[in-house]
Amino acid sequence: MIGAEQRVSRLSAFGIAVLCLGLAVIPFVTTTTSLRQASQIIVSVLAVLGVNVATGYGGMISLGHGVFVGVGAFATGYYVDDLSMPWLLAIGLGAATAGVSGALVGLPALRIKGIHLALVTLGLAIVFRPLSKRFPSITGGVSGRSIEARFDAPGWWPGDTRMASSVYRYLFCVLVVLLALWATWNVVNSRFGRSMRALRDNDTAAAVYGIDLVSARVTTFAVSAGLAGLCGALQVVLVPFVSQDKFPAQESLVIYASAVVGGLGTIWGSVLGVIARTAVGKVGDSVAGFDGLGPIGEFFDLLDESAFVFGLGLIVLTFLFPRGLAGIRRKDRLRK
Amino acid sequence: MAKATPETQLRSQVLATVTLSFVMDYVLLLQRIFDALFNSAIYSSLALALVIIFRSTGLLNFAQGEMATFTAYIAFVLLSGPQPRLTGGGLAGIIPGVPFTIPLAIIGAVICGMVAGAATERALIRPLGGASDLALVNITIGLLLAVNSLMAQWWGTGPRFFPAVFPSGAGQHFLIFGARLRYSTVGVWAILLSVLVLLVLLLRHTRAGLAFRAVSISPSNAELVGIRVGQTLMYGWALASGFGALAACLSANSVLLEPSMMLRVLVYAFAAATLGGLDSPKGALVGGLIIGLSQTLIPAYVPFIGFELSVLPALLSMIVILLIRPAGLFGTKRIERV
Repeated sequence: MIGAEQRVSRLSAFGIAVLCLGLAVIPFVTTTTSLRQASQIIVSVLAVLGVNVATGYGGMISLGHGVFVGVGAFATGYYVDDLSMPWLLAIGLGAATAGVSGALVGLPALRIKGIHLALVTLGLAIVFRPLSKRFPSITGGVSGRSIEARFDAPGWWPGDTRMASSVYRYLFCVLVVLLALWATWNVVNSRFGRSMRALRDNDTAAAVYGIDLVSARVTTFAVSAGLAGLCGALQVVLVPFVSQDKFPAQESLVIYASAVVGGLGTIWGSVLGVIARTAVGKVGDSVAGFDGLGPIGEFFDLLDESAFVFGLGLIVLTFLFPRGLAGIRRKDRLRK
Repeated sequence: MAKATPETQLRSQVLATVTLSFVMDYVLLLQRIFDALFNSAIYSSLALALVIIFRSTGLLNFAQGEMATFTAYIAFVLLSGPQPRLTGGGLAGIIPGVPFTIPLAIIGAVICGMVAGAATERALIRPLGGASDLALVNITIGLLLAVNSLMAQWWGTGPRFFPAVFPSGAGQHFLIFGARLRYSTVGVWAILLSVLVLLVLLLRHTRAGLAFRAVSISPSNAELVGIRVGQTLMYGWALASGFGALAACLSANSVLLEPSMMLRVLVYAFAAATLGGLDSPKGALVGGLIIGLSQTLIPAYVPFIGFELSVLPALLSMIVILLIRPAGLFGTKRIERV
């Protein structure tokens, strides 16, 4: 049983304070490029959170959330350009489109459970790239599509430099991500969240207590895909270009790995997972420069591949801390 | 009169071809079936690897494809010797007799695969002691990611040419009713079937095979009659990884050797195994045959699918079979108790 705390614990409150402070400081100490990178990292929390909702709270293993990120990104680009919608509407609809596609995947999940669902979602992740190449009018085919519309700061925003614009986008993304985190925290602690967890732990018993399995499973998957879709939509806000080669199956797997490494079944886990992924990438970048160390240098180069570290991390954490980084303090293990 | 756009022209042409080929072009149909048979053999053997492990441990090895690709790289290194451009090929310098001939290299790769499979079971799966599905998925996905990026790091992501195992030049085929049946297709099936015969002999007529069958049926009962369950499962993993290695080495020529080459093949193999029944070796064989044929025939006769989307029917058939008959065609039904 992974229980979610009803109250914000003292450690969480401290963590939230540190996080907000860090988010407030970032725009003052970065350039436009690194601010955009920071925004992209912050946005990626949503995809990991999506996996967390489906797998951590709903007990449905999803190895294909990169697909929903992709659907959100392509859909937002389509809405804002081809249908000339205003940005906010396009972002909302983009996330909703991903949510609907998630509900469609959730439908078979009613009967396909556990390891078989993992199989189907992995298949989906692998099929997504060829599938999106097949619809070039929306996805831009092999080479991708650039989005003409720009998410620019409105007139009242002080300053019209590139930096001012970047800060605006950054703050917008931070706001949306924080809102989504807050909303998800509320959802998982609501009546619906409790039924979600009951379903995860024992679906037959949950049904006996009067929980509607069909709507609960489909809604969970839709919400989780919607979060991933929101991540895709915000990616389009930050970089007005989408291409199918951003969504290989490995990306879906690394998103899944981030969720598990961070810790399933807690909101903090998703944040920690993304922090870990970023930290691994940064450490890898800094040690990859060493040459002339022979085999040791080759090993350091491997660290540069965050997929390698996350693969190993997934294995090691499953043995040592099955609750992930967020659960290191807890003594109990997830083993049966 | 409105001028026909190239698209409608193309569509009517395709439609005409479809009708024609159904009505009279038996040769083309036969040709497509022959072409499909090669892939079928590959999917069957990878599906067999998945089935052997699922049958005994109830676990889907998502890393099966990547482990197999790794062994194909080992075969590649054994074939080409220690070249400076092959970073990970430095290992080959310490192996006597490198470069090998193709059959020797593949046997070497299969042995390496079997050792790696056994080691994986001993080091990563057995210590977990029948943990939850989630933990097992995590382990195999972790392995998939780690092995995939390890290969990308050592050997680069660019595709490499892997020599053909059987003569596969322009004229290297039998001519049957006007359709060409390639030597390589016949060769791959000959290998697959002879390995299958060996497997059946092993399972039916040796003590280890008897133990393996007992463990597959009921691990706890097998333990009670004195069978060492852990060790038996380890042999099962070795066997499965051997099949995977064989599949990877035989297909590396046609799909080109690169770190993610088996990822797509894995979808087909999973579809084949699900279709046939995840715990049925016979099902794996039949499923591989069906999936291989549908991969070639459906895109050929359904213009919308086309070559690019040839993986879609496999995925859809997997979903449909899981929805309407989760046990597959030949699998045993599982009853869920609360």
